[in-house]
Amino acid sequence: MNLLYDLRYALLPETLLTILILMCCVLTFLTAKKNYIYKVSTAGLVFVLLSCALLPFNSESVAIYGSFVSDAYSILFRFLIVLGSFITLQFAQKYTESFEKSSGEFYVLILTATLGAMFLAGSNDMITLFIALETLSISSFLLTGYTKSDKLSNEASLKYLVIGAASSAVLLYGFSFIYGITGQTNLTAIAEYLSKYSVNLILIISFLLVMGGLCYKIAAVPFHTWTPDIYEGAPVPVTAFLAVVSKMAGFAVIIRVLSQLFASLPVWSFSISIIAIATMTIGNLMAINQTSVRRLMAYSSIAQSGYILTGLAISTTTGIASMIFYLITYLFMNFGTWAAIEIFINKTGKDSIDAFDGLATKQPFVAFGFTICLLSLAGIPITAGFFGKFFLFQSIALAGIQNYFWLLIIALVNTVIAIYYYLRVVAAMILKPAVSDSNKNIVKPSMSLNAVLGITVAAVLLIGIFSAPVYTLSKYSALKVHFAISTPSISQNK
Amino acid sequence: MSFLSLIILVLAPSLAALFIANPWLTGDEAETRKLSIGFSAAFFIYSLFFLFKYDFQQGGLQFVQNLRLPPEGSSWIQSMGINFSLGVDGISLILVVLTTFLVMLACIASKNSIVKKFKFYYSMIFILTTAVLGVFTSKDLFLFFLFWELELIPMYFLISIWGSGRKEYSATKFVLYTFTGSIFMLASILAVYFYNHAQTGIFTFDMEALTFHSYNYPLMYELLVFWGFFIGFAVKLPVVPLHTWLPDAHVDAPTPVSMLLAGILLKMGGYGLVRMNLQMLPEAFKILAPVIVILGLINLIYAAIITFAQDDLKKLVAYSSVSHMGIVLIGLGALNTAGVTGAVFQMFAHGVISAGLFMMVGVIYLRTKTRSIKELSGIGQAAPKIFYFSLAIVLASLGLPLFIGFAAEVLAFIGAFTSNVATPVSMQCLTVIAIFGIILTASYLLWMLKRVFFGPVSEKVQNISDLNPGETVVFVSLVLVIAVFGFYPSAITNVFVPTISAIISR
Repeated sequence: MNLLYDLRYALLPETLLTILILMCCVLTFLTAKKNYIYKVSTAGLVFVLLSCALLPFNSESVAIYGSFVSDAYSILFRFLIVLGSFITLQFAQKYTESFEKSSGEFYVLILTATLGAMFLAGSNDMITLFIALETLSISSFLLTGYTKSDKLSNEASLKYLVIGAASSAVLLYGFSFIYGITGQTNLTAIAEYLSKYSVNLILIISFLLVMGGLCYKIAAVPFHTWTPDIYEGAPVPVTAFLAVVSKMAGFAVIIRVLSQLFASLPVWSFSISIIAIATMTIGNLMAINQTSVRRLMAYSSIAQSGYILTGLAISTTTGIASMIFYLITYLFMNFGTWAAIEIFINKTGKDSIDAFDGLATKQPFVAFGFTICLLSLAGIPITAGFFGKFFLFQSIALAGIQNYFWLLIIALVNTVIAIYYYLRVVAAMILKPAVSDSNKNIVKPSMSLNAVLGITVAAVLLIGIFSAPVYTLSKYSALKVHFAISTPSISQNK
Repeated sequence: MSFLSLIILVLAPSLAALFIANPWLTGDEAETRKLSIGFSAAFFIYSLFFLFKYDFQQGGLQFVQNLRLPPEGSSWIQSMGINFSLGVDGISLILVVLTTFLVMLACIASKNSIVKKFKFYYSMIFILTTAVLGVFTSKDLFLFFLFWELELIPMYFLISIWGSGRKEYSATKFVLYTFTGSIFMLASILAVYFYNHAQTGIFTFDMEALTFHSYNYPLMYELLVFWGFFIGFAVKLPVVPLHTWLPDAHVDAPTPVSMLLAGILLKMGGYGLVRMNLQMLPEAFKILAPVIVILGLINLIYAAIITFAQDDLKKLVAYSSVSHMGIVLIGLGALNTAGVTGAVFQMFAHGVISAGLFMMVGVIYLRTKTRSIKELSGIGQAAPKIFYFSLAIVLASLGLPLFIGFAAEVLAFIGAFTSNVATPVSMQCLTVIAIFGIILTASYLLWMLKRVFFGPVSEKVQNISDLNPGETVVFVSLVLVIAVFGFYPSAITNVFVPTISAIISR
């Protein structure tokens, strides 16, 4: 395993991304041209995206002495992360125009966060995992507070930092127990050791701590409280990044690491079911009464995490495949929603649901795209979101409808609650008469934002119609996730 | 692919919707309406071909079609066992023809009542058509569910944009009720799917495979699955006490949409009851048949009694719909060929009659701007054409012999009377009570007729104009169907009796 081999067959996109980050750093000092760095980083990310395709998809390559693994699963996630960050850059173009000199750092930070997220998706060592997580988190803290003059943005940044630091500590504490038990940091080695290890309280505690620490990234209850404030305060490009890319990286690591180490625990399926149920129910119930679209979307994204987690609770390959499928659709529908919200906020400066009244007559294209994305989030056919939910529920049923009866029923009931608040926004746009804007800013509609909206809407509809290839891909990647083998004395289902 | 393709029949309306919605099509309301009428007439004629080509003697599923994807001919979502497969048997065929027929009439009836956003309106109507046709023709449970859900969104917009009164409230209520119901249905679909997989190891949503299987469900399991399906369909049918969305939605929807709601959307519930509950879960149905008969009885009588208290003409018609759907339940609960035939026939008959009743309300409302029975009087003198057609439809609705409603009700009641389902009170007793319920129907309808059409001409009615040609066409076609098939009901029943006999004898 020499370094060049690693770079070519496992770390190609990361290498290119690192070079890109360095280039952007230098360019920030060299040029005062505003849009220069945007162009460079966009073009660079295209290459990173393409380089993901050059990785060997069918084989498993281990790099950096076993601390990074590149297989179908991590390649898919890294591809999605780069894609997400590419879309985020299109959001950022408009946003950074308002910063005279300091627009370059924004791109550098986004790219650094992406690098962290990519390492997180493929990490196979507790140390790598933690460092990747911190790379992602620290960049995110900075990004959240990027609008320096805005109080809300600063508040969001501080909150995110405090809660993030606390959850990192929790995660590390959990890791320390595992290290204490096994004496290893490599996850494969740990999994091997644990398969011969009989379950005891310390292992369960370490599972709960690690789970808790990671739940923060995916905004699962009870570590969700930061979400609404940050989504409301942070700049929209950053919010979109946190809602999609950061969450996707969180799920990548949760799915792989947790199932590899802990899936055999007797409390596994029970505790994850509880977290999933609490997350979706609280997310949906809190979303009902929101007046701000951003807060509504925050709670909606919490609820979505809850749905996705149900696939993990059943610990089957179909469950994981459905989660991956859902995450792919989630990427498109969420970016679509945020693109529509950003276009709207750019135009009017408001984000309350009432402000959306009559959007369909004023901006039919935006209203149409927004409607499709919201309906997809609600799970209405023939959008991608419907299939995402259906596949999840179906995998729960296949895992044994008797064992997971309540999980299935509660998840189903939650979809009904969700449809109410999504319809509220749709109703405001399409049914209410348009109100005349008094403080209409003269903002040129951003081409790149419109393109993002158009492409995501097309993707949502296309995945809805041709879901089979996407599902096959998810399933293929899901096969790479190994579940911890239970010791003979303990049964897997509670 | 032969000339008669169900896939074309189901997907063509949504293509028509796209065509109408495209921004390059500029045209005023009349042009768009005529274009839509043309499209819908084409769909109707196309669906008639299926009716003529259907082999009645043979019965069963025909025109079966599976969509295959290009590279290696895999099904739609192969790894899940999801197949885009369509087929019609007698029951679905008659409902398909009813759907295309009523959509055509609804397009004609949209004149004057739809003035704003007409392009969006007609495209929504056609998407709704695709969804409903898809529900009636799906051979795959997943596809069935997909179309079932797809119908919600166009209906939501149809009620909430072009409706009146508390339209948004009603539309949201409609969506939430149906969605809640369909959640239970989804749970049951997954349960059936899981059980089939556990028994045979095959992933499939194919209705045939899930219906004709070698294994038996545990009784408790089958009963739970039955209730899941039943709640889903009971919201749609509707069954008291899940009916409260219906008066709101019907009253606030515009006339053509009310026609479609009552005419075909309620039939989706009845169709589901036959297809899933009766055909797929016969054991549970046998056990629960008394419950269904009693629910039907409650529907019939409770809704009829409420009708007496209504002052709003449209609400009266809406509750009469609920009442008539009770007969469907009674017929199904009888569990014999006559009863189920009566139930399916009643679905068809009610589809035509209720469309006529809502048309009547719409025509009156358009001219007088009121639906309050108190303010209406003497329409018979002021507008005789409206009166004659309304009279015919009302008489059909109350089950006058030689009209289509009579044939359906009689069949259902014969079925119920001769049924050997064991109920706490004997089935014959229940049937007699139900027949007394029909007297309630007759009295509220005749009372309404007396107050609205007879008597002195009221202030609001004075200067109303009589029917225009478009409205006349709608009324004539509806009354023609009502009279012709009332006189010769076996022309309709022949289509689905073989299918029903096969279901019952299983």
